[in-house]
Amino acid sequence: MERKRNGVINLLVLLAAGVCTFAVARYANSLSAHVAVAFFALGLLAAVVNWFQMGLEERERLEKLEFDELTRAGGSATLFEGGDSETLPARRSREQFEKVFVPGFSVLLLILQGVGAWWLWEWVRTGVSNVHNTMIAISLFGIFALVLFLVGKYATNLARLQKERLLRPSAGYLLLCAYVLAAVIGALVAWEAGVASIDKYVALAFCALLGLLAVENLLTLLLEIYRPRVKAKVDRVLYESRLVGLLGQPEGLVTTMAHALDYQFGFKVSDTGFYRFLEKYFARLMVAQLAILALSTCFVFISAGEEALVERFGKPVANGKVLGPGFHVKLPWPIDRVYRERTQEIRQFNIGYTHDEKDTHDNKGPVLWTVEHYKNEFNLLVASRENMDTNLVAGKKSPPVSLLSVSIPVQYQITNLHAWTYTHGDPAKLLEQIGTRETVRHLVSADFQEVMSSRRFDAGEELRQRIQEEANRQNLGVKILFLGLQDIHPPVGVAAAYESVAGARQTYQAKLLAAQAHKVKTNALAVAEAQRRRRVAEGDRQRVQAVAIARAGNFTNQIPAYKASPAVYQMRGYLGTLAREGRNARKIVVTATNAQDVFMLNLEEKLGSGLLNQPLPPN
Amino acid sequence: MKYNSVTIAIGALLLLIFATLLFMFQVRTTEVAVVTTFGRPTRTISAAGAYMKWPWPIQKVHKVDQRVHNFESFEQVLTSDGFNLLLSVYVGWNISDPKLFFPRFGGSESRAQTSLEGLLRDAYTGVVGRHPFVHFVSTDEKQLQFTNIENEMLQRIKSHAETNNYGIQIKFLGIKKIQLPESVTKLVFERMQSERKVLVSRIESEGESEAASIRSAADLESQKLLAEAEAAATGIRGLGDLEAAKSYEVFKQEPALANFLLQLAGLENFLKDRATLVLDLDTAPLNLLKDPSIRMQK
Repeated sequence: MERKRNGVINLLVLLAAGVCTFAVARYANSLSAHVAVAFFALGLLAAVVNWFQMGLEERERLEKLEFDELTRAGGSATLFEGGDSETLPARRSREQFEKVFVPGFSVLLLILQGVGAWWLWEWVRTGVSNVHNTMIAISLFGIFALVLFLVGKYATNLARLQKERLLRPSAGYLLLCAYVLAAVIGALVAWEAGVASIDKYVALAFCALLGLLAVENLLTLLLEIYRPRVKAKVDRVLYESRLVGLLGQPEGLVTTMAHALDYQFGFKVSDTGFYRFLEKYFARLMVAQLAILALSTCFVFISAGEEALVERFGKPVANGKVLGPGFHVKLPWPIDRVYRERTQEIRQFNIGYTHDEKDTHDNKGPVLWTVEHYKNEFNLLVASRENMDTNLVAGKKSPPVSLLSVSIPVQYQITNLHAWTYTHGDPAKLLEQIGTRETVRHLVSADFQEVMSSRRFDAGEELRQRIQEEANRQNLGVKILFLGLQDIHPPVGVAAAYESVAGARQTYQAKLLAAQAHKVKTNALAVAEAQRRRRVAEGDRQRVQAVAIARAGNFTNQIPAYKASPAVYQMRGYLGTLAREGRNARKIVVTATNAQDVFMLNLEEKLGSGLLNQPLPPN
Repeated sequence: MKYNSVTIAIGALLLLIFATLLFMFQVRTTEVAVVTTFGRPTRTISAAGAYMKWPWPIQKVHKVDQRVHNFESFEQVLTSDGFNLLLSVYVGWNISDPKLFFPRFGGSESRAQTSLEGLLRDAYTGVVGRHPFVHFVSTDEKQLQFTNIENEMLQRIKSHAETNNYGIQIKFLGIKKIQLPESVTKLVFERMQSERKVLVSRIESEGESEAASIRSAADLESQKLLAEAEAAATGIRGLGDLEAAKSYEVFKQEPALANFLLQLAGLENFLKDRATLVLDLDTAPLNLLKDPSIRMQK
């Protein structure tokens, strides 16, 4: 009866602690606490079956007592002449329960463990750990863990002392749940200390443990088929997990290790002073370890490039004095807390595009307008002074603006950690918004061509100053170090058109140069030709003069000869000229005196002699 | 027994720690806390420090960040002259009155932000609708109303938040981005391309025009030079003839001889090139062929 009461206590404690843990897990939104509830559910199922099985055994025990009493009283034997099933129905029920229900329940447990491990793993893997109300959760989980530990210890000892095998499964789960909650508390403490990822890792470790339980359960079921049944021996409860027992009672593991050491060394290692010391003061050593851990939170090491603020109960210590690099002492966590920031680090945000780690110019060759510089570039509006008569596109009037792709890196440094930490919830995001706003404000009033060319440097400095002023006004505690306007260009879609303008300017220059070349050539040739003509004329003039003078002189000399015999002189001159100059002329002499005859003279030029005109060689 | 007392002491210490955690809470400089007793706000704490409370579920502490929060809203809006714009606006706000803030938003900053987003959208769609496009983008500073538009939006959302007693103060507002919808962006791209094409044509035509002008000027200069040279050459030749004419005075002494010599010179020139002479027997010296005395000798 007492045994059954203990089973009920285990069941109720597991139920209450499980429900409360689930409620607090929801309240704190901790992944590890959510997964921990699965162990409570498994423990609860085991406790329910335990409790039912205990009832059956209790009934069997009472039935046996009654049967023995009646047998001793010498009652009519005919009353019990039937078989065992008829005379001892409670035993029969218990046997049937162990034979049919317990294996079925073990299979159900296996399915729940396996499916639960897989489903929870996926849930945790895709989930985001966002714990809140951490301190309340830690305190409540601590209380639950203490209660579970005390009740579990009591139940375990009771099961060991009274050899109550049916108490062991639920007692094991009570202790396991206590340790699981301790791990959850550890994860939440880590979260509070700033290591947020621990909660997720602990949750994943719980899922893995659940999977291990499923594997162990499967092996137990397989081995159960081939296990030799010995009548006198009390069987181990099929759904009792050895792994749960080991995790719930780690001292059992130590004892086993001690026995193994004794066996290995050949003498009682467990009897040595050191081992006894360890065994005796293990708990105190663990507490001392925790105390040292707490003490270690009193020392702060600030790395080079870092600064830190210390808060005592949430209030900045020494009027917000900033701790520089080096060693510092503070009160232990959670009284004093340190908030570090890498203030010497040069930080950067980007205007005009969203930075992607894959976006790097390394080994990409030249940066061209026609190729996107970054994956997530966006276009900004910019005013234009150009004539807007060309705005009619496809029958619609488009805005009198142009678009620009800008990729502006802005580098800054935190100069006032106090202002950076305490003024704005997300100062980095605000700075990026201010930077983008000032850029947009500048572009909407700037001329497209000027921004692209002559005003680029001035615009960069002006923008940097504007962002700095606005950051100061918002008390962000930063200094804007650099703002680069190197990546301002027409959007990729129209970049080619802009390049064609540059090409057209080259064509323009080329045409002018070709015309200039023509001019130079034409002028030079004309000058030369003019000079030539003048000189030819001069030559003609001189020749005419010289010839005239020569003829005059010659004429004077010819007069006496002519006067001597004009006819002879003339004939001599005539014949001489005819003979001299007509030497090469063809001469045809018409000797006929008949004036009426018509002579046909072919005065055509003969073609040059060819192959056909060659005379054939004589035979 | 000693072991048990140590265990009990450790257990008690742990219990004390956990219990202390249940009764105490901290408020950071950046936070403001509202303590509720059975759900009713009973205390507001804005000063940083450690405070006591009854354990949950009697009292519950709701902490909110009292620093300035900022969020963005990105929406398509219409200007008064019918231009579609994609406007991204950011707003900075903080909790000015936690007692008002807590019941209205359940202590949730995200819920407050959701409400503010509604106000913001209402503010900037309303304000943008009152301004033409040129107030947003213009090279003329007189026309540009960028900062005024921001101020109008800020005042509108501020007045909404104050009128509705949100317990929130709007600290600042800025237009982060002005963009055009995709369809309009394409049209702007087309227009920009057309502008460039016009510019290309203009530059190339100007080039051709200037080149043609240079060429024609050069040709003109050349023709002028040649014409001048030709004129000069004619003058020179005339001068030669004039000079030569002086020498012709001597021909007056014997004009017949002069004429004969000229004819003879003409004949010489005539026969210089290839010529075919068809001569009859009356032509000297072929007339000798008709002379009987010569025939007889023959």
